[in-house]
Amino acid sequence: MASEIIREPIEDFGLSKKGKSNALFSKIGIIGCGLVGQNMARVASYYGLEVVFIEVSQEKIAEAFAGITRMMDHRISHWGLTESEKRAHLSRITGTTEYEMLKGCDFVIEAIRPVDRGIKIKERKEIFRKIESVVDRECIIATNSTTVIITELASDMLYKDRCISLHFFVNSPDARIVEVVKGLYTSEETYQKVCKFVKLINRTIIPVEESAGLISIRLFVVALNESCEILMEGVSTMEDIDLTMRVGFGMRMGPFEVADKIGLDKVVRWMENIYSEFGDVRYKPSPLIKKLVRAKHFGVSAGQGFYAYDAEGNRLSVKPKPC
Amino acid sequence: MKVLVLNCGSSSIKYQLFDMTDQHVISKGGIEKVGMKGSFLKHTREDGQVVLFEGEIIDHKAGIEYILGVLTSVKHGCLKSLDEIEAVGHRVVHGGERFKSSVYIDEEVKAVLEKNIGLAPLHNPPNLKGIYAMEELIPGIPQVGVFDTAFHQTMEPYAYMYGIPYILYKKHAIRRYGFHGTSHRYVSQRVCDLLGRDITTQKIITCHLGNGASVAAVKNGKSVDTSMGFTPIEGLIMGTRAGDLDIGVVTFIMEKEELGLRSANSLFNKHSGMLGLTGVSSDMREIEQAAEAGNERALLALEMYSYRVRKYIGAYAAAMGGLDILVFTGGIGENASNIRQESLKELEFLGVDLDVEKNQSFRKEGEISLPGSRVKVMVIPTNEELMIALDTETIIREKKENF
Repeated sequence: MASEIIREPIEDFGLSKKGKSNALFSKIGIIGCGLVGQNMARVASYYGLEVVFIEVSQEKIAEAFAGITRMMDHRISHWGLTESEKRAHLSRITGTTEYEMLKGCDFVIEAIRPVDRGIKIKERKEIFRKIESVVDRECIIATNSTTVIITELASDMLYKDRCISLHFFVNSPDARIVEVVKGLYTSEETYQKVCKFVKLINRTIIPVEESAGLISIRLFVVALNESCEILMEGVSTMEDIDLTMRVGFGMRMGPFEVADKIGLDKVVRWMENIYSEFGDVRYKPSPLIKKLVRAKHFGVSAGQGFYAYDAEGNRLSVKPKPC
Repeated sequence: MKVLVLNCGSSSIKYQLFDMTDQHVISKGGIEKVGMKGSFLKHTREDGQVVLFEGEIIDHKAGIEYILGVLTSVKHGCLKSLDEIEAVGHRVVHGGERFKSSVYIDEEVKAVLEKNIGLAPLHNPPNLKGIYAMEELIPGIPQVGVFDTAFHQTMEPYAYMYGIPYILYKKHAIRRYGFHGTSHRYVSQRVCDLLGRDITTQKIITCHLGNGASVAAVKNGKSVDTSMGFTPIEGLIMGTRAGDLDIGVVTFIMEKEELGLRSANSLFNKHSGMLGLTGVSSDMREIEQAAEAGNERALLALEMYSYRVRKYIGAYAAAMGGLDILVFTGGIGENASNIRQESLKELEFLGVDLDVEKNQSFRKEGEISLPGSRVKVMVIPTNEELMIALDTETIIREKKENF
């Protein structure tokens, strides 16, 4: 009957009948779907990949989806995405609490929200082991951390060669670069596959040797510390320091603005990690930042950091807030 | 001779296998979602039976491999072996200034195509992938590239240059190229065959109205002007593309809405046109339904659409100093009788007398003007694939004869 459509599995019709081929990066896993994870999920789904993200509770999953939807809506309102694209992209993203769901992933990246460093390494190692227990041998396991050393994370793994570190930019998710770090154990094959993945999502690779803080964070924290010095010495105001860096050096945001956006709690942790690695006071968090963090003035997300913000994250006043 | 015609898009591959002895399509089909989950190959067999092949198709090469596998399979195929395919014709979007007609693909041509990627960053790379994949799968197979831009390469500089600093033309090859060339060429030729006229004496306007749309002025068999320019966004109002627009609007919106390049691009290419105007859809049928139900913006958009077509018809009649034949083609041109009627409104002064009654519900190849009309108005379903197959056959024949 000609009207009925016949269905066939395509694998039987390859020329060489070489069987099911393993598609590179058709599905990726993300552990922890905070701001970083949400952005990665959004970008990967944009480029046609299936995304499974793991969160600790249904509530957190809903939060993550709300965040991703918000990002997409923002894009739609700025003409960068269409409603139908949004539906298609969202349909590729799955949230779950079960590590089992990572089965079949070609690539899993850990992007858990920061907690205390001591616990963090242990936690991350545990996560890596959990991932390894469900995924295939070929699956690449990565961390998005910049201050944790991938070699250390990989040391307890069954297959250490599959571990790698890559760093997406959280503060400007559309920055089309990714820092990629090979650890001591990372195989060339893993590195090349990751490079393919990065190209797939239309980013440029910045190869970086294993070193706490990579390029981006190490440079940034020093600039921020120095900005705080200038401020505390009364040399200039916060606005003018930001303005100078923005206009004078063609940056999109000044150091204080960037810090607020990233989250000062996170910045402090970066600084402490890099400081403990290098022992150089340049990296030691400025007392000014620590003071703000103690007051829970974490930045844009808290409504208050170096500057004050409304619920939508818009900066409230141009006047510097007394620190 | 059996010719395989391939049209590789960014995530799709369409194919038709032609038997050139009588120019009939042996079988055809397409792959969707290349490199994504849920990819499939939909194949129409010689007997009309549709077969859906589901599974992972990781890239264009894998896709083409499956197409060849299906074509040669005992169960659903139509070829005993791949040797039966004598040549492959590829649709290539941008030929730049170098390609004024279809070409045999050799190393040099590939090098030029690689260089042209910048002109069509979305379209040329998958076209090239298709060419490379065929090379690997059937080594030594003769391949021909048929360009969307080639037909319009006969435009004179006064028609293709923009009024911007000349150095930009020199530096970045910024000029008008025009697209849908294969379609404009096919219908202008076909209409002359049908009417028994000599194309080298005719002034023809061809309206290719599909999701993308363009008008071409074909004088004495050569394209002298066309509505699309450097990119396919210029000219008519399309499904989601703006068409002609004051450049001042672009910079103004970019500033007011704080848009970056990517967003601006998407605004004018994906959110504009009939979709942006109506808020209903980019699909002409849905817009017509909305208009019938009294949707004012849909009514307005339809008026604008036809008005823009009419302006171009007038302009091109002037550009050619007259008009003998007017052709409608493409999904909308072949089916939307109201659009055709409105586009020809008050064009009697040009010698266009539409047979309004006949035009209504006319959906096939043929004339829709009144018997006495000075200008013949015709509907010609386009057939770019056949054109590609014909070009491929000709070029391969010539190549063989020369050896």
